[in-house]
Amino acid sequence: MSSKSRFIGAVEIGTSKVAVLIGEMVQGISVHLIGFGECQSHGVVKGTITDFKAASDAAHSALLAAEHSAGVKTDEVYLAQTGGHLEGFYNQASVSVSAADNMVSQLDIDTVCRLAKAKALPEGRMVVHHIRRPFQLDGRLVGSNPEHLVGQRLDVGYWTVHGNEGKIADNIHVVRGFNVRVGDLILSSLASGTMLTSPQDRQHGALVIDIGAGTTDFVLYRDGAPYMTGVVPVGGSHLTNDLALGLRVTEGQAEKLKLRHGRAMIATRDKSDKVWLNGDFAIGDRQFPRLAIETITSARVWEIFEVVKKKLGPAFAPERCAAGIVLTGGTAALPGMTEAASKVFGIQAHLGEMPGWVDEKLRDLGHSTVLGLLHYGLQTRAAQPQARRPRSKGFIKKLFAVGT
Amino acid sequence: MSRSAAPSSTARSWRDIPQEIAPRAMSPVGRRRSTFRTVRTVATVVGVAAVAAGAFEVWRTWRDTPQLLATPVDSQPVRTISVQTDGVLDRSWVERVIELPEGVGLMELDLYALRARLMSSGQVASAVLTREFPDTLRVVLAERSPIVRLKAQLGGGEPREFLVARDGTVFIGEGYPTEMTESLPWLGGIRLVREGTGFLPLTGIDRVSDLLATALAHAPRQYATWRIISLNRLPTDGEIVVQSSEVGEIVFGTREDFYPQIARLDLILEQTAARPDQPLERVNLAVGPSQVPVSFANPRGLAAGEQSDARAQSLFTPFNRSAQKREL
Repeated sequence: MSSKSRFIGAVEIGTSKVAVLIGEMVQGISVHLIGFGECQSHGVVKGTITDFKAASDAAHSALLAAEHSAGVKTDEVYLAQTGGHLEGFYNQASVSVSAADNMVSQLDIDTVCRLAKAKALPEGRMVVHHIRRPFQLDGRLVGSNPEHLVGQRLDVGYWTVHGNEGKIADNIHVVRGFNVRVGDLILSSLASGTMLTSPQDRQHGALVIDIGAGTTDFVLYRDGAPYMTGVVPVGGSHLTNDLALGLRVTEGQAEKLKLRHGRAMIATRDKSDKVWLNGDFAIGDRQFPRLAIETITSARVWEIFEVVKKKLGPAFAPERCAAGIVLTGGTAALPGMTEAASKVFGIQAHLGEMPGWVDEKLRDLGHSTVLGLLHYGLQTRAAQPQARRPRSKGFIKKLFAVGT
Repeated sequence: MSRSAAPSSTARSWRDIPQEIAPRAMSPVGRRRSTFRTVRTVATVVGVAAVAAGAFEVWRTWRDTPQLLATPVDSQPVRTISVQTDGVLDRSWVERVIELPEGVGLMELDLYALRARLMSSGQVASAVLTREFPDTLRVVLAERSPIVRLKAQLGGGEPREFLVARDGTVFIGEGYPTEMTESLPWLGGIRLVREGTGFLPLTGIDRVSDLLATALAHAPRQYATWRIISLNRLPTDGEIVVQSSEVGEIVFGTREDFYPQIARLDLILEQTAARPDQPLERVNLAVGPSQVPVSFANPRGLAAGEQSDARAQSLFTPFNRSAQKREL
């Protein structure tokens, strides 16, 4: 443990669970996973904190467990942000290149970026992310930095994600109650998207859908950058609720039926095929038609995908999404999920796969967000102060050596 | 949007949310962390301040009164030297050897140098010196035990008596009673090699020590008659030659245990004691357990003038081992 190490926590306060990962960041360029804590969430509905004390207790338990497993104290955390209150819009700005020789200067870049980001929000709304789309110089796409290129007009657009100030503040204050600073607030979909897609996937176009318990987060990548994000306040818990209402069982029983027999696509043809609630022949154990369970769960899954597709609107074009749909989140493990997504979106879909360096116990899709928080946070940190640091030779990818 | 369309206001970011939080809003864990952090900060500040103050004080002392730094601990002069030993050396000997200056402080003592002085005497096997505050120097000695003595000339002086310990160390005995040193047999047939102000340790003394210890334990009467132990033939023949007041020369072999050899010698002496007219000249116990060549100084039937030319020889054979033990 060198003196230049910092201990960063990644915290995801979800609807069903709170997950915390602690990484040792060495010199700001590489991170080693050293601790993990998880506990059941309380006081969170659809990704929004409704009971501050219950949510704090759960989050602090997970933080303590992670610190205990890591044997260190966290210096700061990267916090995941989700919730139905999050919205996004696109704003574009353009400037004429100021130099007489039409060479783009840093001043031009700063100006156009500032203009593209400078859009007032309604009262009570706060920016969570400004996601920049690629620069365009006289209508042609350029790489990450157009400086020194020659052209007359420089355009850039930002996908701005904003949310309710109070709800964002609640999320931050839960962590601050543990007396640790929030270093970055990262959209859940961006975190899991960064984790599960390669730069090539993002360049070809990919749609990542993270179906959690209370919300479904999605991010559409195009031209190597996030093009659009969104949150649908519907998730796996709604499947459970539907089952509970439709089959007249308790939520616990419905959750059990969902996990055992739920499907995103109807596969059963035999209407007489029935399944036991518990299977232990105890008093109260009863049978349910398998077709009914599959019908209920598939209908809700289908609806979730339809809502996502509707939210994407014209931004989603199958021909510009060559890498397909990547499904993640705890609910994505439901059988038939990829087939359902393929049918709704009309392109191939697959479950997300963790990179090979991720430890076996963290390879569950439900951990993609908390892993992605560290990944995304490190990438952002490495990219931001690049101008101030001594020049180094393309090391970010090489040195992002996360180990457990 | 063109450049002329200036923004009316800047959108607020989540970073504008104040992260300062009052302790009352924290959970117990958070308050504990906050308290710990505060305590750690205060401790760090106090520690740094203490170090800085100490450094300043040292610097100021160095500048104003540097002699104070030479004696950082205010110790008292040595008043007592406590000596503990397993031998015969006493406090006066220790005081004489270490030669402490008058009024020297306890902390000023160079214990390593004092120990070296004590160890320069071969009689001292080990010495441990400790300071016992406020004014006592404690000396714990372990001494070598002499087993034989020898006379040698060191430098240009008169030949003087040295003692030899089991490990071969040759030293000038201090504090031993005269009757004790005079009871030790002399050592002969050795070659002393000078080293510094003394001699190199002798080899083979451990075997002599075993012989003497066995004799002292099982045949003290014989041991008392032994006068000279010669190692002349030890390196070549593995034999230790003893000259006693009763027998001119007793040869012990080092390849056999000394106990049966002494037993045989005791038996021979007992059998020959009845014939005082035939004193033993030589008993060779190194030949083996079954035979003991014995020479008489005054063989029976020869005139006094012929004794030196024709010394009678006889052979004691065989010996009953159980008888030997019974005799002893």
